[in-house]
Amino acid sequence: MRSLINIEWLKIKRYPAFWWMLGIVALTYPGINAITYYGYLKATTGKDMTTNIAKLLLGNPFAFPETWHSVAYFSSFFILLPSILVIMLVTNEYTFKTHRQNIIDGWSRAQFITSKLFDVLIVSVIATLVYLAVALFFGFYADSSTAFQWKQQLQYIPLFLLQTFAQLSIAFLLGYLIKKAFIALGIFLFYYLIIENIAVQYARFKLNDIGRFLPFEISDRLVPTPAFFSRWGKDAKASYDHAISIIPEHIVYTILLTTGIWLICYAVHKRRDL
Amino acid sequence: MQPVLSINGIAKAYGPIKALKGVSFDVPEGAVFGILGPNGSGKTTMLSIILDILKADTGSFVWFGEPGSEHTRKRIGSLLETPNFYHYLSAVDNLNITHAISGRGDAADIDRVLEVVKLSERKKSKFSAYSLGMKQRLAIAAALLGDPQVLVFDEPTNGLDPVGIAEIRELIKELAKRGKTIIMASHLLDEVEKVCTHVAILKRGELIVAGAVDDVFSNEDIVEVSSNDPVQLLSVLNAFPGYSKIQPHEKKILLFFPIGTARLEEINRFCFEKGITLNLLLVRKERLETKFFELTNEK
Repeated sequence: MRSLINIEWLKIKRYPAFWWMLGIVALTYPGINAITYYGYLKATTGKDMTTNIAKLLLGNPFAFPETWHSVAYFSSFFILLPSILVIMLVTNEYTFKTHRQNIIDGWSRAQFITSKLFDVLIVSVIATLVYLAVALFFGFYADSSTAFQWKQQLQYIPLFLLQTFAQLSIAFLLGYLIKKAFIALGIFLFYYLIIENIAVQYARFKLNDIGRFLPFEISDRLVPTPAFFSRWGKDAKASYDHAISIIPEHIVYTILLTTGIWLICYAVHKRRDL
Repeated sequence: MQPVLSINGIAKAYGPIKALKGVSFDVPEGAVFGILGPNGSGKTTMLSIILDILKADTGSFVWFGEPGSEHTRKRIGSLLETPNFYHYLSAVDNLNITHAISGRGDAADIDRVLEVVKLSERKKSKFSAYSLGMKQRLAIAAALLGDPQVLVFDEPTNGLDPVGIAEIRELIKELAKRGKTIIMASHLLDEVEKVCTHVAILKRGELIVAGAVDDVFSNEDIVEVSSNDPVQLLSVLNAFPGYSKIQPHEKKILLFFPIGTARLEEINRFCFEKGITLNLLLVRKERLETKFFELTNEK
């Protein structure tokens, strides 16, 4: 196992797109959260009753412990950035025909898929580390007086990791099956940004929210909209409580889907001509 | 002695096209084994199957007496079809990956093989900056890493200039001298003729013949004879004992004998005694190309 990780690291560490993507992730995660944070500050500096009540009841979404949740939620919007990297990492193997050479040189077919699983895991862990750093920074920056609550809501760290790994696994599957980077990227972006969003919204109102079982939505529900940003109105609390209550079952669905994805990859790779 | 590779009834189809139709042969240890055949005869398909890149529909193969697996592949240096490397990595980094996967060689050996293929000066250049010939040399270097006992080369001189081709030919001869087993697919008959000890000939997925080069290609001596009067020469030679076939060819007569039985001095004496003076008398070494066309019925 360690040898597979070492070999993948040899491949990745001099791959320019990897460092570019890491740089972009390192900018966008704090960027989106900073924009939202200043939006929050602007919205809550008014003197009217509603904003003050909201502030009083729900607190600062970027202070501890809410920062774990809020930063995970906003950072997860940018899963498409590491997804591009994952698709490139697998389609490169086809482009360079190194998926064949690795086998010729002495890997089993299962080892090849395991090495790619480690790629996806490495990218997921790096994205989670960036999220962790951003959440910590905002926690202290937004309100240092609540720092003592840092141990609460830590569950969002593994939830963010699981969500990232699950969604990157979908990106991997597309790249793995389609083999061509641009076609895989096109399908990924079109489905992720347009099709599934429309389907989820439609299902929410017309089909008893069945859209929550769509591939990305299954893991999107691991990190629901933070309390502060939930819709205002009489149903807001009930809706938020419901979103929180279904997290455990979505953990199970996410694990099942992700396991299924990797089992498909192992099964296909075992049989197919390279 | 146990063969290095034993192939048993391998068949492979791509939809309706049968790329290999139950091919079987053995590769003895220490052989330079050429797999010959026209384009599309199934050479690369065969090599891809024994390296687990393609799955055979039926049949099996055994490396070193055990079923082919990742463990057996680690003991084989291979170049299949094209040089396959990470374009953004240097020669050294690419060979580090080959070493890490196969366990063959080490840092010093990487320098050695790059020296062998004359890439030392460009060892830190990215693969994408290499010419076609340099890429092919790097692929050969990767195969040589760790000095494996068995090498598989698919069209090893592809993309090389004449000097490069000669160098690789010498390299293969030198490896063979050191007792390495080399399995080489090629459509360049001249290349095979110069280095191979054994051959297998494929045609449209079928094995036409396999065995030692001398057995496959030189199963008869062909003697070329000519004089000023070919008609008279033919009628005289018809009476010469021991030949298996006689055939006029342009202004010459070709006499075919079972291998090793042609005696030029006897032919010369026979004709002289019949009053014919020969102006040509030689044993023609049948060119591989001729035999190959004969075997594959390709013109």
